[in-house]
Amino acid sequence: MYLITMFEDMGKIFVKYWDLFLIKGVTATILLSLMTVFFGTVIGALLALVKISKIKPLKWLVNAIVEIIRGTPMLLQLYISTFLIPVIIPAMNELENKKILCISFTLILNSAAYVSEIIRSGIEAVDKGQTEAARSLGLNGTTTMIQVVLPQAVKNILPALGNEFITVIKETSLASTFYVGELMTQYHVIVGKTHNSLPILMIIGIIYFVLNFVLSKLLGVFERRMKAHA
Amino acid sequence: MLDVKNIYKNFGDLKVLEGVSTQIAEGEVVAIIGASGSGKSTLLRCMNLLETPTFGEVWMDGKLLTPVDPYLHPEVIMASKTYKKLSAAGMSSEDAVAKIKAEDLINEKFSAAEGKEYRAEMKKIYDENHIDINLARQNMGMVFQQFNLFNNKSVLENVTLAPMKTRAKQMIKEGKSKKEVKEYFNGKAMALLNRIGLEDKANAYPSTLSGGQKQRIAIVRALAMEPKVMLFDEPTSALDPEMVGEVLDVMKGLAKEGMTMICVTHEMGFAREVADRVLFMHEGVIAESGTPDEIFNNPKHPKLQQFLGCVL
Repeated sequence: MYLITMFEDMGKIFVKYWDLFLIKGVTATILLSLMTVFFGTVIGALLALVKISKIKPLKWLVNAIVEIIRGTPMLLQLYISTFLIPVIIPAMNELENKKILCISFTLILNSAAYVSEIIRSGIEAVDKGQTEAARSLGLNGTTTMIQVVLPQAVKNILPALGNEFITVIKETSLASTFYVGELMTQYHVIVGKTHNSLPILMIIGIIYFVLNFVLSKLLGVFERRMKAHA
Repeated sequence: MLDVKNIYKNFGDLKVLEGVSTQIAEGEVVAIIGASGSGKSTLLRCMNLLETPTFGEVWMDGKLLTPVDPYLHPEVIMASKTYKKLSAAGMSSEDAVAKIKAEDLINEKFSAAEGKEYRAEMKKIYDENHIDINLARQNMGMVFQQFNLFNNKSVLENVTLAPMKTRAKQMIKEGKSKKEVKEYFNGKAMALLNRIGLEDKANAYPSTLSGGQKQRIAIVRALAMEPKVMLFDEPTSALDPEMVGEVLDVMKGLAKEGMTMICVTHEMGFAREVADRVLFMHEGVIAESGTPDEIFNNPKHPKLQQFLGCVL
């Protein structure tokens, strides 16, 4: 009986607040994820380059940062950064959207740490013989990287990067702790109005699932295509 | 042409090469044979610095490819503080140099400890003789056991990549258009592919080729740089037996044209037929060297006799 009531409630709530779910929530989640993945990839690529470089002090620094990020909970990092960043950069306090800035920064840094590992392992998975052959012909390290190693590494990297995107979509829900307006935040908003948790959570769960399911199927198609061209 | 001086190579605690010296003359075909683990591939890879020798120097056409090895230059040793200390203790010049060499007394890692003069002497030799390794490698082709064709590039691109990336700039500076340069290198590549009968594979990707085809293309890719010397690292070891012949034929053709070649090989027939000189390596040193006739018909080193007994 309870289930039936719940489904009814789900319907009612969705009809009433669909714009909060789909327009505000989904848009914010996707925007936040896209931004995180984009900048996370850019910064992650830079970190990966440092990791495979021969500049030891920089390497240690990056490795330390990456290990700290990977070894502590994301939620904790979000808390720390929202308190710590305004202390380090006092000018932040005057900004209206300092919270979202701090959170974006943390999400991006977190994603960059994982992406740097994806890219590093993608590059290192390319057969060493490829590099040796290029270098034996007199090509320098940079040309070898651009012409031979990276094009092959991309094939290892892209699928894993797609999975990172899915992970990020789910992780943005942690940002709801700080009411930044993404899908999970809408739960807090709507529950304040309806005082009925479960139906809202179910709706949000379905939306997350559909988002990620569609995305992972798209990635699957993309991956198969890439293999066909290899 | 190629002068290998007293090469040592350690991988951690593992000593792979323990003092290898040899000179390779222009037009000479040298085969390096020996059991696996004897250091023959490492020696070859030290020649173009795919492995950096732990000690020793490699010279090509009077140019130094490796860092300076102080032990090969008495004037460097004599500029060191260690030498001065021994001299001050009353040791003769020759004895002091010999003692430093024998007991490895120069501390390379802390060359600052050997004083300014020592470093200046090292730098002088380096600056006068050193050549950028990328430039040097453009004159040394290398063929690998595992072919190592670029998987992301077509056969034609495999052959033209290095010439395009290293020589095109200069040609464009000289007033040629980009298109002309590209056509020039494509034409040359096609001529090379034609020579091995694979011009119809120009647009194919390596994954679609047989091992023999891949290796012939790998040889052509190296030749496209017009190298002065070709290094072969067991070029037929990863091939199916029926494909060994086609690769060896290409190599024999090269030898006939007078290419300087150094081949690490298990093909004793090839070594006997084509090589001018055969080096037998055992436990990191050249245990015996000589003409194919001397090596195969009259081996002296007991390990060589044993080795030939196994492979022939």
